[in-house]
Amino acid sequence: MTKPLLEVRDLVVRYGSNGPFRTQLRPAVSGVSLSLAPGETLGVVGESGSGKSSLLRAILRLVPSESGAVLLDGQDWLALSPRELRHARQAIGVVAQNPFLSLSPRMTISEILAEPLLARGDRAGAAMQERSAQLLLRCGLPADFLPRRASALSGGQAQRVAIARALALDPRLLVLDEPTSALDISVQAQILNLLSDLKAESGLSMLFVTHNLKVVAHISDHLVVMRNGEVLEQGPTTELLTAPRHDYTRQLFGFGLRAQAVAV
Amino acid sequence: MALLEIRALSVDLPVPNGAIHALRRVDLTVTRGTIHGLIGESGCGKTMTAMALLGLLPRGAQIKADRFAFDGMDLRDVAESLRGRRIALISQDPAAALNPVLTIRRQIDDVLRAHHALPKVARHARAVELLAATGLPDPERVLRSYPHQLSGGMQQRVVIAQALATGADLLIADEPTTALDVTIGAQVLALLRNLVQARGLTILMITHDMDVVAEVCDSATILYAGTSIEDGPVAEVLTHPRHPYTRALLAALPDAAPRGAKLAAIEGQIPPPFKPIAGCAFAPRCAVARAECALRPPPERLDGAHRWTCLVEGGLDDKTAA
Repeated sequence: MTKPLLEVRDLVVRYGSNGPFRTQLRPAVSGVSLSLAPGETLGVVGESGSGKSSLLRAILRLVPSESGAVLLDGQDWLALSPRELRHARQAIGVVAQNPFLSLSPRMTISEILAEPLLARGDRAGAAMQERSAQLLLRCGLPADFLPRRASALSGGQAQRVAIARALALDPRLLVLDEPTSALDISVQAQILNLLSDLKAESGLSMLFVTHNLKVVAHISDHLVVMRNGEVLEQGPTTELLTAPRHDYTRQLFGFGLRAQAVAV
Repeated sequence: MALLEIRALSVDLPVPNGAIHALRRVDLTVTRGTIHGLIGESGCGKTMTAMALLGLLPRGAQIKADRFAFDGMDLRDVAESLRGRRIALISQDPAAALNPVLTIRRQIDDVLRAHHALPKVARHARAVELLAATGLPDPERVLRSYPHQLSGGMQQRVVIAQALATGADLLIADEPTTALDVTIGAQVLALLRNLVQARGLTILMITHDMDVVAEVCDSATILYAGTSIEDGPVAEVLTHPRHPYTRALLAALPDAAPRGAKLAAIEGQIPPPFKPIAGCAFAPRCAVARAECALRPPPERLDGAHRWTCLVEGGLDDKTAA
């Protein structure tokens, strides 16, 4: 088996537990382990309060972890100093749920795409413009979008820009937090297609976090179902779909059109 | 007789240098005692239709309709007086619908006092009964609570109890489960279905979620760019869709394609709302469109209770069939 790109071992995240007089709260993430192979897509699915967002934030080191380990490409991610982290974070691209909140309304698309490159120390100029145009094109938008602002884009176009920005530094891992939840069905399909294209073209590894099991099942190779901060079950997507061990996983498929298809 | 009958409803919102065509042509018939889905993507006019029914359109909005009737009355005259009396709204986000600084008791009592001349003791009994009817386990405790002490699913049940407190016979449910987790959403949908059966209510369910429609609706209308393009019994509309847009929308669902395969995304975008449309609104994105489609309005097609508007896709019982 190939070495995993991302490995999480017994990760515990607990909020509000600092200080001598604080009572110990139930952990938001309690002992989660998972691993993501290079070029694969791992879907993390759970409802509100399941700990999926806390897990994501802990992996990105936006919140401190109480115990456990996060290894990115074998590197102990939690042991990095803030200075090392700043450099190492280039390996992860992040796409947030709502593109209109994650893209500054005051900047042009060109400035938005240049920002990560400038932060890395690249020089502004024609080469950077060219790079921005390439990134946009790769995400299905023509270069004439560069002078526009996010407010002039539709939800789907804005999310494409957000994905382009996340890819700017050629990350090894793309982290997607509910990337289609704010989008309409037809646009959601466009974005999911774009993600499968990126995966097929460049072997991008993705960590896809969502509450929508139908969306994540479509795109993921492996699934992790979370509940109350714990992993309820995990495994290859086909296995989880055809034979979920927990009734809760079945419930997450919800209701409606093809809800029964899971049971078979 | 249908509780709600709308024919050729259009709503224009005047803006400098023109008008926003919020609704272009909406036909909608809702039968008493059923749940009717109003389906569409952002900007298609779902919420605008609800606002027209509630008499809550922005000032200066121009309403035109061949028929715009609720229980035989013209809504252009009576919408405001029916709002909260015969037509009530359940909104998407219960946390926003409830006042955070008032107890649930006060918020339900306000509704009961406004609509019924009942003494205090009777209002309390009624509030308890309504909360119990929405499946809340300990109504007395809920009455003492503030909204933040309740979960999202409980809050939505309180909002439904408020709607029931008005005594309205038509509930407009605007994305009632979108803000809820899927397992909780399923419970709320089951509750709405029970209320329709137990109390003879009628619900207009506004949603973009095909699963919600398949789960609880008896019939449905699909909207696209302010135009109703297809309607009929849910079994027909969702399993034998006839309009190319409905077909495309269903094919774009993530579970419509085999895992990992390309989804059938709809290319292009909805037409801007200020643009007049001569022909079929969907023609520029339609896979089967012909040149004539963009030139004149598509004919209405019929197949039993199933109705759609398309030049290309014909029906068995077409009035227009030559």
